[in-house]
Amino acid sequence: MQDKKAHKFGMVIDLDKCTGCGSCTVSCMAENNIPFKEDESDKKDSITWMRVYKLTNGKSFPDTQTAYLPRPCQHCGGKGDHGHSPCVSVCPATATDYGYDTGIVSQIYTRCFGCRYCMVSCPYHARYFNWWDPVWPEGMEKYLSPNVSPRMRGVVEKCSFCYHRYQLAREQAYYNETDEIPEDAYQTACTTACPAGAIIFGDLNNPSHRVHQIVKPDPHPDPLNHDVVGKSRNPKVFRLLERLGTNPKVYYMSEKEWIRKVGDSYLDGEWDKMKNHHGSASHD
Amino acid sequence: MKVDRRSFLGLGLGAVAGIAISPVGAKLTDDSSIWTQNWPWTPVPPDGKITYGQSVCTLCPGTCGINVRKIDGRPVKIEGQDTYPVNNGGACLHGIAGLQYLYDPCRVKTPLKKNNGRFEPISWEEAITLVAGRLGKIRENQRPDSLACITDTNLGSVPGLFSHFMTAFGSPNHFTMQTLESWLTQTAQTLHGSGHTLGFDLDNADFILSFGAGIIEGWGSPVACFKANSGRMQRGAKFYQIEPRLSNTAATADKWIPIHPGTEADLAMAMCGILLQENLFDPEFAAGFRGGLNRFNAMVQQKYPVDQVAAITGISAADIKKTAIAFAKAKMPVAVPGKGRGDGAQSLKEFAAIHTLNCLTGNINKKGGTFVKPVPGYLAFPDPVQDAVARDGAAQEKLAGSAQELVTKIHQSDAPVVDTLFVYSANPCYSLNDPMQTRAAFEKIPFVVNFTSFMDETALASDVILPISTFLERFEDVPSKAGFAGLVVGLAQPVVDPVFDTRSPGDALIHLAKTLGGTMGDSFDWPDYKTCLKSLVPGIWNDLSKSGYAVVSQGPPAGRVRTDFAFLAENPSTIQPQGDADLTLVPIDDMRVASTAPASSPFAIKTVSDRVIKNRDMFVEINPKTANGLKDGGFVTVTTPAGSAKVRLNFNEGIMPGVIGMVKGLGHTFDNRYVAGKGVNVHELISPVIEPGSGLDAAFGVKASISKA
Amino acid sequence: MDAALIPEGAKRCSFPKFMLGIAIVGAVLLWGVYAMLLCWFKGLNQTNMNDYYGFALWIWADLAVIAVGGGAFFTGLLKYILKIDELKNIINFAVIIGFICYSSALLILAIDIGQPLRGWFIFWHANVHSMLTEVAFCLSLYFAVLTIEFIPNILENRQLNKVPFFHHLAHNMHGTMAIFAATGAFLSFFHQGSLGGVAGVLYGRPFAVREGLLIWPWTFFLFTWSAAAFGPCFTLLVTRITEAVTGKKLVKDNVVHLLAKISGWMICTYIIAKIIDTIYWATVTAPGLGFEMSHFYTNNSFYGYWILVTEVIICGVIPGILLINKTTRENHSLRLLAIILGVIGVCLNRWVMVLQVVAVPVMPFDTWALYIPSWQEVATTILPVAYGIILIAVTYRYLPVFPQERELNQSKAQES
Repeated sequence: MQDKKAHKFGMVIDLDKCTGCGSCTVSCMAENNIPFKEDESDKKDSITWMRVYKLTNGKSFPDTQTAYLPRPCQHCGGKGDHGHSPCVSVCPATATDYGYDTGIVSQIYTRCFGCRYCMVSCPYHARYFNWWDPVWPEGMEKYLSPNVSPRMRGVVEKCSFCYHRYQLAREQAYYNETDEIPEDAYQTACTTACPAGAIIFGDLNNPSHRVHQIVKPDPHPDPLNHDVVGKSRNPKVFRLLERLGTNPKVYYMSEKEWIRKVGDSYLDGEWDKMKNHHGSASHD
Repeated sequence: MKVDRRSFLGLGLGAVAGIAISPVGAKLTDDSSIWTQNWPWTPVPPDGKITYGQSVCTLCPGTCGINVRKIDGRPVKIEGQDTYPVNNGGACLHGIAGLQYLYDPCRVKTPLKKNNGRFEPISWEEAITLVAGRLGKIRENQRPDSLACITDTNLGSVPGLFSHFMTAFGSPNHFTMQTLESWLTQTAQTLHGSGHTLGFDLDNADFILSFGAGIIEGWGSPVACFKANSGRMQRGAKFYQIEPRLSNTAATADKWIPIHPGTEADLAMAMCGILLQENLFDPEFAAGFRGGLNRFNAMVQQKYPVDQVAAITGISAADIKKTAIAFAKAKMPVAVPGKGRGDGAQSLKEFAAIHTLNCLTGNINKKGGTFVKPVPGYLAFPDPVQDAVARDGAAQEKLAGSAQELVTKIHQSDAPVVDTLFVYSANPCYSLNDPMQTRAAFEKIPFVVNFTSFMDETALASDVILPISTFLERFEDVPSKAGFAGLVVGLAQPVVDPVFDTRSPGDALIHLAKTLGGTMGDSFDWPDYKTCLKSLVPGIWNDLSKSGYAVVSQGPPAGRVRTDFAFLAENPSTIQPQGDADLTLVPIDDMRVASTAPASSPFAIKTVSDRVIKNRDMFVEINPKTANGLKDGGFVTVTTPAGSAKVRLNFNEGIMPGVIGMVKGLGHTFDNRYVAGKGVNVHELISPVIEPGSGLDAAFGVKASISKA
Repeated sequence: MDAALIPEGAKRCSFPKFMLGIAIVGAVLLWGVYAMLLCWFKGLNQTNMNDYYGFALWIWADLAVIAVGGGAFFTGLLKYILKIDELKNIINFAVIIGFICYSSALLILAIDIGQPLRGWFIFWHANVHSMLTEVAFCLSLYFAVLTIEFIPNILENRQLNKVPFFHHLAHNMHGTMAIFAATGAFLSFFHQGSLGGVAGVLYGRPFAVREGLLIWPWTFFLFTWSAAAFGPCFTLLVTRITEAVTGKKLVKDNVVHLLAKISGWMICTYIIAKIIDTIYWATVTAPGLGFEMSHFYTNNSFYGYWILVTEVIICGVIPGILLINKTTRENHSLRLLAIILGVIGVCLNRWVMVLQVVAVPVMPFDTWALYIPSWQEVATTILPVAYGIILIAVTYRYLPVFPQERELNQSKAQES
């Protein structure tokens, strides 16, 4: 299915640089016409396509350590990276779909009928339901962008890797009579907003892109788990819940071992055995 | 025809079958789904031509260049400007949410006059006439100094115009809110003489020793600092954070050194002592030392022995020594003062002691060092024209050393201290310590004129409100501020026509001065603010108008720096937190919550953790060891000498036992359901303590007790 | 008053008394309808569901009613395909219960989805990979089958049956019922299974995910098997309740014993499979993903091992044993206990496979999410119960649901 020219857009987030400031979240909300309510303190009912989680190493004072983990939609490739993402494979109405040419998991708001099965399928809680009608204070709807339609109540929404920006970049490329979309022509709103430069976005299939150079994705299935494809060959890079075989296109990077360990679940003692395998150059 | 049962049934069944096979059902079903896709109450943003407008964000002292995407002239998104030399792309969450301020539900839409406690709309003409009438009376009474003015800062042409106005009017009483800039200017003035301020070259330093500076919590110019923090990781520069709490800055630092709050000055003094004792100071730079280095040395050796300071600060003597030596031996060390955002109550002693560390290393006015630089002087104000009344008034003694001291004085005095107060771009009734006292003081001021864009706490306590255009609707020069190494002046420009009946503050002042006439009119002899601005910045107007910014200075300042130790050699006393309870309450700066004016946007509030605000309740951070059997998430009453508040407990292993912390910037009481009415204003729990030397508020925290609520 | 409609030879309570009962239950029904309208017009913010609980009480209710409604297809299968003729005495009632369960499931789904007016997209834009698509198709078709199975019973109403057309229609439909029963069994096999598949395919949820056969995870088969096993328990339970309410014996003991025995053996085989499945999941599947079994049952205030023990042992093994053993099966009280436990067990299984799935944290830095339904959710869930009671009351009163009723109550009627 994947033709040679297919893109595979992905992200690397440097968790050591991440300051937890929330710029990515707000930039995402402003870019994508995300509404807000009087009370957004119930985080289980608060639409934040880009949510920043706080991590802790669980130790007590003064050995405690914290870090932040921004979590956009992981744009999973699904088991074996065949495009059967957890959510795409369960949506009964094909309202969420896998773009084989981009690797982006789309969401068609006008087709979604709100069964929320996709939300149940997503272990990252990247999907949000419009429990409420979106309402802006009088006059504030003037700042809404026409590039992303505001959602009606009763449908699911999520991060699209700012797909509208990809469309604009593609139009621009067409206008420039080229097939090539330069790396900086398509960047997500969170990436451009990040004041710490912690988010890097690009085409994982394109060796000239920074994401590819940092991640060095292994094109072969993981010998320990054949569902896992595209594992990073950089020992500092990991993915969230990689062992489930969801094959996210969002990678994380940290120098700190405890942060890398929090990215997945391990049985007692398993981490020490597995961390050496982690990012192993098995296919180099 | 007789309708019998059979034919009735037949007809019925036929009709049902007929409708079922007709397209009616399908059509209705289809229509219903299309209807749900076009609910009239779900907005459809109109499409149009994309254009971009450049401006500079003035929401905080960060002064980031912004790029505003517009659709048919309608701004839809703010992003950082890639080429702007402060932020180089990137923007903080408050700036990105800037459009929410433009359409904020509590924007002041028209001039207002308070009448029997209620605001009523008036025209600009009426408002200016009203204020001019009041000011005219003051001058008639020969008491021009009874006009006071509080602005957020004193940098840039707009605060400059207020200053100009005050001088022309004849009042010395222009105050600014307490900012990092005011601390740094005071520090530089104390150690290096007046006319100086400090900058820190964090982009190049190889060892940053931060005494609680929230480098990624909004200290200085936030985006520039975020970038510097990322940059120092790539460079491998060391970063030590000394702070009672594992802030985000402490978490990304190479080393976090927990310290008892309020003992930073003692630590810095002890470190100075170590540097002097171990001969780890720069002899060349020491040649510029004046005013009793020896006295200072003798004093620190005697009063700040490491063992004693170890007990006071809670840091082991070995750690203090190791840190001091590592700092001194670094090639480009920088010690950074200013806890959190750096704008809170702190002490001059602390700033001076920390900066003395920089002076001892000699890494001053060098790449990767601390810059002792002149205060921005790019504005060429003409001398104000004063008449005799003005000259007399201006020669009077200034009422106080700071806005905080002024408010305290007004509150405590029985006689009227101030007749009329101007407030511009500041919210003292919220952000000064003990805002209850501030509001009571405002009650006692007969006439308060507020130049503001938002109906905040101070606006509610004002008598006349002159609605000001936001940074997206007006021209203004925006100089880079506190802590930034160089000086970049940006030009805020209107990216959209004023949404409401608002004006640029400069235009309002010019209009007011002209209405007053006489020497006031002469002093404000500009047709409008834009012309005024152009004439004030002759040297850089070309750059400003062409590229939107001008780089006035860059790199280390030239010239020798003299350092005067007189202030510290006297060993000024360390301010102790008020009260005698067991715990120390300190305010926490959280990047996601704006702590001064304007308040946070709805988007920013949306990002705030549910361990800071849940529903309307706020959390206080506490180490589980200090909780004494109280439960995580449980309700408690925090009591301090200033007051008490009901909050919930947030167990945090990252806060020192004995210390509790509350996030600054919450508990607003104005009318905005997205932002206000959430949590407690931590300033309500802290009374100001004026530091004798500086006149600034030094109440960095307060003693507190907690009990189950 | 309505004597002409009441089946011949059957004794029913007075019409006012009947209407009083209907009114009481009707009030509950109206409460549910009010809540339903709130959900439709104001949106799903009326519920306590949230982004963690995309599936909650309603989906549980859906799965539970379909599971217990499984008595219809399984009894039909036994009666029409396997030709166990005694079951003709309970098949009508099994069909009615099934009809109630499935119509309720469809109603709840119509409330549950965020955009009810687009519900038909599941057919129009169907995604063949989705278990829910399979559920929707089979569920709707099977509901049609149930309606067809129900019609002859309606037509046997004393007055309707006087119309020759209806009389013949009912008769002929009875004749062809085997075809519909077979279709129903086939469809049920798939949608019961796909409902199990709904949970089993969630490979992002280590609590739910199961390995399986071809495209079907083990839960697919477990759900079908458990519906077949516990469905008859529910049929028997509702029969018993109806007997208690009407104060009459309606089905002969031998029929009850037979169905109970079949159910017992089904439960026993199911529970063995379930235990094997649980052990395999706990020792192979979940650890392979990095999860200890304890992760799913500790560190929260509700979901403990008790729920597993209750579901599998107390409400699985015990009713199974009670029902396969002749003495306990034929003991009135023990049989009642067994069928009650069985019904609880299957409902608990569905709860666990819906709500515990989403309660368990998956990301290591995530937390358990617990949930209490809002009154609107409770009311709309009780709504079908009220509707079911009314439908049973009406059908019992006016239709010859129980063929043995007359015979069993003749002597009594003569005595009085």
